[in-house]
Amino acid sequence: MSTAVKNQLRVCVLSIKYNIMKEMINKVTFLTNICFMMLNNASILVQWFVLFRLRKDVGGYTMREILLLWGLTAASFGLSHVLFARVFSLPELIISGKLDSYLVQPKNVLLGVMTSSTNISAVGDLLYGVLLLSLFCSSIGRFFLLVLFTVTGTVIFTAFALLLGSLSFWFVRMEILGRQLTMGIISFATYPDGIFRGVSRFLLYFIIPVGMAVYHPVHIVVRFDAEMLAAVLLYTILIATAAAAVFYRGLRRYSSSSLMEARM
Amino acid sequence: MQAIKVENLSKTFRVKRKEKGMKGSIRAILHPQTEEIRAVERISFEVEEGEMLAFIGPNGAGKSTTIKMLTGILYPDGGKVQVLGIDPTKKRKQLAYRIGTVFGQKEQLWTHLTPYDNFQFFGAIYDIPDGEVQRRIGELAERFELSSFINTPVRNLSLGQRIRCEFAASLIHRPSVLFLDEPTIGLDPVVKESVRSLIRQMNEELHTTVFLTSHDVGDIEKLCSRMIIVNAGKIVLDDSMEHLHRSGSSLENTIMEIYKSEGRTAIS
Amino acid sequence: MRKYAVIYRSVLMENLQYAANIAMGFFAYFVFIFIFIRLWEYIYRTPEEVIAGYTKAQMIWYVMMTEMIWFGSNAGAAARQVTMDIRSGNIAYLMNKPYHYTWYILAKYTGEWSIRLPMYAGLAAVIGAWMVGPVPRFRIVTLPAMILCLILGITINAVFKICISLISFWIEDANPFQWLYDKLILVVGTMFPVEIFPAALQPVFKLTPIYTVCYGPAKLIVDFSADKWVEIVLAQALYLAAGCAFMFLVYRKGVRKLYVNGG
Repeated sequence: MSTAVKNQLRVCVLSIKYNIMKEMINKVTFLTNICFMMLNNASILVQWFVLFRLRKDVGGYTMREILLLWGLTAASFGLSHVLFARVFSLPELIISGKLDSYLVQPKNVLLGVMTSSTNISAVGDLLYGVLLLSLFCSSIGRFFLLVLFTVTGTVIFTAFALLLGSLSFWFVRMEILGRQLTMGIISFATYPDGIFRGVSRFLLYFIIPVGMAVYHPVHIVVRFDAEMLAAVLLYTILIATAAAAVFYRGLRRYSSSSLMEARM
Repeated sequence: MQAIKVENLSKTFRVKRKEKGMKGSIRAILHPQTEEIRAVERISFEVEEGEMLAFIGPNGAGKSTTIKMLTGILYPDGGKVQVLGIDPTKKRKQLAYRIGTVFGQKEQLWTHLTPYDNFQFFGAIYDIPDGEVQRRIGELAERFELSSFINTPVRNLSLGQRIRCEFAASLIHRPSVLFLDEPTIGLDPVVKESVRSLIRQMNEELHTTVFLTSHDVGDIEKLCSRMIIVNAGKIVLDDSMEHLHRSGSSLENTIMEIYKSEGRTAIS
Repeated sequence: MRKYAVIYRSVLMENLQYAANIAMGFFAYFVFIFIFIRLWEYIYRTPEEVIAGYTKAQMIWYVMMTEMIWFGSNAGAAARQVTMDIRSGNIAYLMNKPYHYTWYILAKYTGEWSIRLPMYAGLAAVIGAWMVGPVPRFRIVTLPAMILCLILGITINAVFKICISLISFWIEDANPFQWLYDKLILVVGTMFPVEIFPAALQPVFKLTPIYTVCYGPAKLIVDFSADKWVEIVLAQALYLAAGCAFMFLVYRKGVRKLYVNGG
């Protein structure tokens, strides 16, 4: 069993390594993409300088919490798009029947698909996030918390995209809506939760997983709360399991390119 | 012993039907109408170990759908499949270790890597120890004459060189059954001939079972000992080449006649 | 001129069929606006408070209008096509056709926004009526003047973006420059009106495309005055003339370079 896991991991690591190598063939494009994404993210801080000139806090956040929020969001978003970029374009693979080659390999299909491409500009997001988070590593405990939340955030973002993407096995039209929703998460994840009330607050914590991916982690880092931490961990496991289950259930309906040929 | 055993295998696709124009679009949203396409309908056959079988039929007859069900890509709606005694729907991974696939129109190689790196990657996928991978790469390089370009990125190779690499990559784990879906499509006659001789060589030396679909009569005639023709999702002919040859007319004419006499295809 | 009208019309027809797909993009627009409504509701202590010369309703309508310009025009698509045509070498076939390539792109772009923009305008009106309330002091008589200004702004934006794409004739990847331009428009021009920035920066911003592309049209919609209209439209005319001249120049030089180097 353990050798099987080791072999599987080795294939995943090789796959990710080759993806990144592929992007590095053109070094100038590779580096400019990363640098500009970092600048891109940093430019949004202008907005917060403006807002904090008007009020001391926005939704209970000061600049410190905003930087923490941005750090966690950028690191999780970046890591999920560096390692598992394919999940975010899964509908396209399903609809055009491009899962075949993963299905004939004696390895886990889902992991094979997930690790089959990368997004270079996301490296910039990841670096930017890590840079911001490093401002908060005042103790070992903090450091481990931040690493943990980057991982749970990555899992939640990826799992949510996988969940929505897998719906393409059933509904072709889901593609665009799914993309909108996954991008919508990022919009919410870069604003303080204190400005949302009522229904929207409920949605952000229970339907769109922004609350569990970043808001709770921000609160926990500011003031430790074991119950909240348990909720985040439990939710991470739940959504990952659910997403994988939906993917495999949908895989039975996978029609390869036969349907496309049938439509001709 | 049988390498492949198929009983009453079926696969149905449901497609949305849409009438033309704006009205049709609106109606399709309000009352979605689906149409069933029986891509494969209760087919049964067996393939002996070491046999080379041609599985042919007109476009949309159900060839690819069948090959995809045999390899675990598609999930059948009904019937039983056993490849090397393994059910692909239940033990896909276990089966994958023992079969190889070459789909002519789809590439499985990483184009920015060299063939050598690709083979290493496939070695890792099939859990082959490093030393063993080296040995097999050497062996394949010799058999497929890859040595001169084994360290050139795949994207810089010619189509013929590429297809040889595709074959080599599919054989790194020494599969017992090889599924080939139009392996010679788009190749020039010289390359075609070399691909055919590679297939024949493998079959003779390693006793590999070969399941081949092709539109190229040459592939069928020069390689296979038996032919199954499917049309509209059903088997319409299952006979040995020898027997077909004895009937007098050329293979091409025989195939054409069967295609035409069976009338409409499933999907048109 | 007629052929560009035909290009425009065929793109229009094509895009009509994709109306449902365009509507899927409403979600992202709604999310942005929703967040900004919540943000300003938090920051304004009372609806009557005035920040940088804007009431709460004006502030929210401002961002709704600038985002409507951004989502409703999708100049990025036009720029991406130019970049792709140049990088793929497809341009060699397109420039030999009996039309001017940049006009062709602009006609296509206009066909696209002719569908998108009214759709987003409708959406903005619905969200505004539902969550914000009417635009203060809005008068229907001034609407045509506002629309003219809006269209000029959208066209100027596309011309600038196409100019940046044309740099692809010389360098491999013009995307970083697109980014810079987009960031200027999005971060400085879209989220807040110019007046909210420190006084020292405001004259600088007024010299950038922000003034003619997003600030001008949006400002006129939330706070119309005849003087400002004349000022902004004049500036737009100037920008458009200069932008087009630059676009033709860059295109001509680029094409010449292509002939010399053979693509």
